[in-house]
Amino acid sequence: MPTCKEVMTHICDNLGEELGSPACIEIKAHLESCDNCQHYFKSVETTIQFYRKYNVNISEEAHNRLVEFLGLKE
Amino acid sequence: MNEQKLIEQAQHGDRKALAELVKLYEQTVFNFSFKICRHKDRAENTMQETFLSMVKNIHQFSGQSKLSTWLYRVVANHCLMLARSESKYGYTSFEDEEALIDEKEIADWSVAPDRVTENNELKMVLDKAIEKLPADYRIVFMLRDVEGLTTEETAKIVELSVPAVKSRLHRARAFLRNELNDTFSEDINNNINE
Repeated sequence: MPTCKEVMTHICDNLGEELGSPACIEIKAHLESCDNCQHYFKSVETTIQFYRKYNVNISEEAHNRLVEFLGLKE
Repeated sequence: MNEQKLIEQAQHGDRKALAELVKLYEQTVFNFSFKICRHKDRAENTMQETFLSMVKNIHQFSGQSKLSTWLYRVVANHCLMLARSESKYGYTSFEDEEALIDEKEIADWSVAPDRVTENNELKMVLDKAIEKLPADYRIVFMLRDVEGLTTEETAKIVELSVPAVKSRLHRARAFLRNELNDTFSEDINNNINE
């Protein structure tokens, strides 16, 4: 999980703001006291984690078909 | 043998080195293809076309970027072409950015991301949500957030400016989060979380 600073950097970077800019400082103050925003950013992070963990492995058959398709079979 | 050496040998026609490079990247390419195409057969077809392109063009590879970056670009272009040919391109409109964030909808999710590895119902929910996302947004989300490339690397692959990548990423995250939120708001206490 990212730290608060990483989250803030990320949000401010997406807004084109420096971490110490007035807009970013205001956002930080709001985030610290707002349960709604904390839930929101946690759920965005969870969304990303879901898709990171949803992986598929190549089967041996698919590997064999690939090698044959490329003419690289030994 | 390191990757650079393998590439040099492959560029000189060494088929064993080419086979090694394929082996080195086939899992990454297949997984990424699936994440973009959302279908195993299409992912396999994309993987085959991607490596065919690598085999044909390896002599042109200058080494200025990573081979993985080059492979990601081929996969992204192939999947984008497939999506456009199926007329799914632009399925969801993101014109109204404000609508992506609805303050009334914010729930505290108490779901563990690890669940996805064993829960087929959850996989279906994730598939359904991401299939609604236009392919060009999906590619940006997958490259930046899921594969962990930098914003600059992502911009280079999709041939967009860094601000355009950030904008698409923001919208893609908000859209997917909202799609999943519908499920977790409705089903937060039932079988998806059990």
